[in-house]
Amino acid sequence: MRFKKLLFILSIISFVTRISAQTWVVPDDQKAVVAPVKFTADMQKQGEQQYLKNCQSCHGLMGKDNWAKLTPPPGDLSKEKAQVQTDGELFYRITAGKVPMPEFRNILTEDDRWSVIAYLRTFNPKYIQPTPVAKAAFTGRIVTLALEYSDPMKKIVVTASEQLKDGQTGLAAGVEIMLFVKRYFGRMQVGEIKTTNAQGKALFEFPADLPGNKDGFVEISAMVNDPKSVMKTTPANASFAIGIKTDKPGLTETRAWWSTRDHAPIWIILTYTLSVIIVWGFIIYIVYSIMKIKKLSREV
Amino acid sequence: MTMDDNKLTFDKLTSDLTHHIRINKGFLIWMGFLTISLFICLYAYTIQLRTGLGVAGIRDYVTWGMYLANFVFFVAASLIGMLVSAVLGLIGMKWITPITRIAETIAVAFAAVAGLVIVSDMGRPERLAYVFIYGRPQSPILWDVTVITTYFVLSLLLLFLPLIADMAIIHRKVDNLPSWLKPVYKSLSLNFTDNPQQNKIINRSIRILLILLIPAALSIHTVTSWLFAVTSRAGWDSTVFGPYFVSGAFVAGSAAVIIAMFFFRKNYKLQDYLTDVHFNNMGKVLATVSLVYLYFNINEFLVPGYKLKRADAVHLQELFAGKDAILFWLIQVGGLLLPILFMLFRRFRKPLPIMLISVAVLIAAWFKRYLIVVPTQEHPFLPIQHVPQNFMHYSPTLIETLITIAPFIMVLIIITLISKFFPVIPLHDKKKKKGIDHIKFD
Repeated sequence: MRFKKLLFILSIISFVTRISAQTWVVPDDQKAVVAPVKFTADMQKQGEQQYLKNCQSCHGLMGKDNWAKLTPPPGDLSKEKAQVQTDGELFYRITAGKVPMPEFRNILTEDDRWSVIAYLRTFNPKYIQPTPVAKAAFTGRIVTLALEYSDPMKKIVVTASEQLKDGQTGLAAGVEIMLFVKRYFGRMQVGEIKTTNAQGKALFEFPADLPGNKDGFVEISAMVNDPKSVMKTTPANASFAIGIKTDKPGLTETRAWWSTRDHAPIWIILTYTLSVIIVWGFIIYIVYSIMKIKKLSREV
Repeated sequence: MTMDDNKLTFDKLTSDLTHHIRINKGFLIWMGFLTISLFICLYAYTIQLRTGLGVAGIRDYVTWGMYLANFVFFVAASLIGMLVSAVLGLIGMKWITPITRIAETIAVAFAAVAGLVIVSDMGRPERLAYVFIYGRPQSPILWDVTVITTYFVLSLLLLFLPLIADMAIIHRKVDNLPSWLKPVYKSLSLNFTDNPQQNKIINRSIRILLILLIPAALSIHTVTSWLFAVTSRAGWDSTVFGPYFVSGAFVAGSAAVIIAMFFFRKNYKLQDYLTDVHFNNMGKVLATVSLVYLYFNINEFLVPGYKLKRADAVHLQELFAGKDAILFWLIQVGGLLLPILFMLFRRFRKPLPIMLISVAVLIAAWFKRYLIVVPTQEHPFLPIQHVPQNFMHYSPTLIETLITIAPFIMVLIIITLISKFFPVIPLHDKKKKKGIDHIKFD
């Protein structure tokens, strides 16, 4: 009975994995995408470095078939299964990822991703690169942010400026701004997303109870909310003394069980050292006595 | 007793206890067999050394497999030196004297090899010294290597000190020794002439060692248990793990001693020295420590079984009724309950039956360590996603099995060599008891 149940579960698992393995379909328009430039030896070299850093831990060394034993198997990318795909397909898969493969949208720049493909193609002697299609010139908004703290208003002021068509700089209205404060593990968002007014400004209230460092400083950063990447944006970072002054030693900075060797509790160091010294003292004494036995026979 | 009687008894005693010290065909065949087996196992280890720990069945879930079970078993078996020599000896049990050297030999052999067993679990064994260089005094790992080294040295000294007088007797009184052995015995005897000062030093040193041995032995296995118990994993997260391990160790060690006694008695013809009384008494010791171990077993399983926290429930389910159930109940019934029942009766404490019981107990003791180490790791608190089947279910490989067998062969080699070239029964001690107080060393 249990065996049947197991078989049933196993067949479901294998069915699901097969289905999911087949369903990583790349949209047709993405398949047709080609690199913006001709692959160069430099790109291949750079791609190799990126590959070793980001891809090798799962896919193994190219051509060595030593990929990590995961389900579904990552496979060796020098093999036909990967190489029959178009550059666009590879680019899409690297960009979007699909669990367990991570997405590299935010880890590798577009250029980096194309370099990796340039490197992968060096293992395919039959590969001929399709004619590159350069990307159209950028026509969107180019926005730069600035941060300040207004003491009278008790608010953080984010100012957005943008490059105008005539080369001048002007204030950018209608830009969505996100504000973050740095915590132990990454950034925490402060308040809601706000849109800049006609003066290019967005005001944020800063919570009164957030701990800062021992002088009360907190690290703030402002970013443009641009999920479709239609703008070119430069975030702003700044440090203000608006947090609560906190002077707590780090977890491994005081003597404790869990701390490093240099921060072992005194009583443990003493207990350990004394026990070792006492017991080994006796051992040395006994060895010394044994040597004395030999001498004693001569004296008799 | 006249002088002549005295001499006669002494000669017979010496000859009885030393006649096995010669290289015969049986010894050569046995050692040849052990050596060849050891080389096969060491070859398996060279494969692991070249290819990496991946040749063993251990993966990211079960990283402590048979090697660690083996380590716990070896440390356990070595503990018997402390029980027999120190505890029973210090409280004045006279019958134990002829068994002390067997117990010490087993202790030295298992303690010496226990350290090597740990090395077999290391992917980069050349980094062993890092334990000392970078060790944290807060870590049980550092305590473990410290106490194992200390216990080994203490046991070695305790084996050696009573041998000094025996060496003196043998190299002076036994004629038919292989010629190359004589100088070895002479230098090991440290020119012992049985003078009172020498005896005083030896007796005092032994006494110090016996007293030190008790805390050292308790620490070595308690610390080994802490390697597990200081984590919060189901099956390891237990406050009775220290005494649970120590009592279990006495069970394994007593069984090992009884098996050794049986074979020494038969092969070295020591029927007059290792009598039914000794087997009967060792049987009682084994029964007693088994009862204590049973008591800790009940604590170890009943208390978490009553509360049934989620992770414990999964763990206990696998042990009691799941994948490991057959092994678990075989061990608990065949290696603990039934032996205790049998050992209550005198007829099962005769040499042959008690030896057979001990074999069952010892085998069960090894598999019990396996069940303590492995199943817990098969259900981690935070399972890794998308791992292949062989990460989730540990199954040892052939290479791993051979590497696990190697330490046993080493222990057998050490025990064989010590017992072959030195008297199994303390000679000097026996002589005193027979009323031959002073031998003239001319």
